[in-house]
Amino acid sequence: MGETASLLVEVFFHTIGFWWVIIPTIFLGLIVGGIPGFSAANTIIILMPLTLAMDVETGIVFMVTLYCAARMGAGIPAILVNIPGTAGAAATPLDGYPMAKAGKGQQALSISFVASCIGGLLTTLIALATMPLLARVGFYMHSVEMIVVMLFGISLIASIAAQDMVKGLIAGFLGLMIGSIGTDVVYATPRGTMGFLELYDGVPLIPALVGLFAVSEAFLIIEKRVIISEDAEPKSPNWHDTFEGVQIALSRWWHIVWTSLIGLVIGVIPGAGASIASFVAYQQSRTYSKTPEKYGTGHPEGLIAPESANNGVTSGTLVPLLVLGIPGGATAAIMLVVMQFHGVGFGPSLFQRQPEVGYGMFMAMAVAYLFMFFTILPLSRYMSHVTTVPTIYLAPLIISFTLVGGFVPREYMFDMYLALAFGVLGYIARRTGYHVAAILIGVILGPLLERYFLLALKKSGGDITVLFSSTLGNILWIALAISLLLPVWFERRRKRQATEVPAE
Amino acid sequence: MTRLDRRAFLRTTAAAGAVTLAAPGIARAAGYPERNINVIIPTREGGGADRNFRAFAEVWKTKLGTDFEPGFFPGASGRVGYEVYMGKNEPDAYSLIFGNMGPEVLNWAMQAPESFSVEDYFYFGRVDVDPGCLFVGAESKLQTMDDIVAAGKERVLNVGTSRMAHPASIGLLALGEVTGAQFNLIPLSGGKNTVAGAVTGEVDFSVLTSGTVIAAGDAVKTLLVFGENRVGDGLDNAPSMNEVYGTDLPEMLSSRAFAIHKKAADDYPDRFQILQDSFKATFEDPALLDAYVELGGTPEYLSYGGVEECAAFMQAMLELGAKYKPLLTGA
Repeated sequence: MGETASLLVEVFFHTIGFWWVIIPTIFLGLIVGGIPGFSAANTIIILMPLTLAMDVETGIVFMVTLYCAARMGAGIPAILVNIPGTAGAAATPLDGYPMAKAGKGQQALSISFVASCIGGLLTTLIALATMPLLARVGFYMHSVEMIVVMLFGISLIASIAAQDMVKGLIAGFLGLMIGSIGTDVVYATPRGTMGFLELYDGVPLIPALVGLFAVSEAFLIIEKRVIISEDAEPKSPNWHDTFEGVQIALSRWWHIVWTSLIGLVIGVIPGAGASIASFVAYQQSRTYSKTPEKYGTGHPEGLIAPESANNGVTSGTLVPLLVLGIPGGATAAIMLVVMQFHGVGFGPSLFQRQPEVGYGMFMAMAVAYLFMFFTILPLSRYMSHVTTVPTIYLAPLIISFTLVGGFVPREYMFDMYLALAFGVLGYIARRTGYHVAAILIGVILGPLLERYFLLALKKSGGDITVLFSSTLGNILWIALAISLLLPVWFERRRKRQATEVPAE
Repeated sequence: MTRLDRRAFLRTTAAAGAVTLAAPGIARAAGYPERNINVIIPTREGGGADRNFRAFAEVWKTKLGTDFEPGFFPGASGRVGYEVYMGKNEPDAYSLIFGNMGPEVLNWAMQAPESFSVEDYFYFGRVDVDPGCLFVGAESKLQTMDDIVAAGKERVLNVGTSRMAHPASIGLLALGEVTGAQFNLIPLSGGKNTVAGAVTGEVDFSVLTSGTVIAAGDAVKTLLVFGENRVGDGLDNAPSMNEVYGTDLPEMLSSRAFAIHKKAADDYPDRFQILQDSFKATFEDPALLDAYVELGGTPEYLSYGGVEECAAFMQAMLELGAKYKPLLTGA
């Protein structure tokens, strides 16, 4: 124990010595994370010749920092211009963008940075301390349990639909139907592809994401002069707003803690990812909030939840990689390839053979989050300028960026047309009062739910009772039922109290 | 003065005639290649095919005197790339496809698309052979093949595979036939998830291309190889299926190879000959092994194969695909 502690301290200070790699990489990560379609994973692939040429330590610090910074960077356009750069940031604009529109972009960015840094740093330290335990989570969370986790996220549709149940549910079901396009996961039978080979693997997420949110938003903002509401108080960037955002986030420190833990636990499950974690965290945050009606209107807690959770996932994905040799996500898979090139063998014996590599990855993450806190926070006052740029310049820029973003992951022209089609769908939905977030939840989580459902059925030979066959699964079913019923009970109690007050 | 020798005269005349007759072909081939060669890769950039391609192309371009331009067309288990190659690329020997013969031919056998036929292209240059294998998680209760066969006779075992139409899946079905054990294939979508399935106990064990299993290190234990174990300890010295069960199953390989339009080979035999010769010369250059290892390839899997070897493997995949189609498609 004493040896491990001294090794950790040694690795920590050694990692700080790599500041010359960390700081430029943070800015690179922010840029690639902020551009839709780009991510840490494809940037590491593009820069692979460079990464392979680095020594092991520099390579680890570079990849881990890029991973964390890109995750945080994806939240910036999501907040300022309603463009989530990745599926992991898809829940961020739900409350982040309304804040920006209300002239609180600077506060929203600060809240997002603080939640991301604290959430990321905290979960990194927890993961480091409880690695052997956390690695066991994947041994219990199989397809049956994951079905319930998906339902936690999908139940958000019902919450969003609360204002107009029929329209909300129609939007949610439309999303689920769009999500079912593509070949089925068992026998690869094509469904609803309309003859397009490009849809065989399902509707690509980035074009759907940028189309529904950003392109439709560009169509809408063109009708206004600037993004920021006309009635919002015009302000020049100032430190006060930045610190106000920090203070709002810090005063909700407990919220950051528990939503980042949701991210950590989901992150350690191989195959699960930031999109699931951010929606589940948002849904849980709303369920147990005293003011659920404020969610979706620019509520700080609605911004903290997804941002803390998706940074919790970042630390979580390292656990199965280091302890079991299984990469938890796409970026971790590429890290595995690069590290194997350097002769690092992941798996149970890594911490016996090369403990400095195992601990080094977590320390690199912790140091990266520390550096990010101080380097990114001051930028929020300049970044929020975007919301005051006239829309005649901003809207074409958004459309160009998002179409390029739609193109990048697969490099198909088809995906650009698809982003435009989703943009039109999003525009019509907004104009007619259908919630695009409900459609998007269906598109993102629907295929995952279907995948786990079909796998569970295939394993059980088609026996539907398999859904209630595991103890942990049953506990999760009960938790799901409670989290669906609680808001109804809270609402009734509120109404009862409201009617009682005038009587007094 | 030199006297004209009758025999020399006849020899010279015959040689001149042969040169004259072959001239158009030589003239055409002499100018080949005049530009870069496009290579369609039906998988994602940064994947195993990309790395193998880059390693091979780095050396091949020095033999051929021109560069290769890769184009990545992932999707539909490789079908998008083949559709693009067969439907949109000119059959002029300036366009090749670098595919994975095992799963991609099997995929065609399962889907039988009307848009192109497997008769319209053929593989002529095999780069590597990576046999499928059977492995368990380090903490699995099933630690030997005897454990697996005994358990498979008592209950249906769930077996992870990256996708149904995969050579390793066929290896498993053949194993079930020979041992009488019952297996239920569970497609876990990709190598990473297939390894995770076996390690975390989502499935009883998994079958997969061995390169990915080697990368998983000591989190898994390999028990059987559906082909030759070329890496020994890297796959826990697991024996081959034919050796243990006396079967004569062809190697169930993930095997990357270059293919060309049949029409291009027919219309431009000289160009095709240059491609074949330079491909073979690449294998004889020690620089290839260095480039292959440098980009993370398993050196033991680097293996030359020409038209005949590729055709034999493709035929075996088509026959096995037809045999097991009902089990792999649920039809």
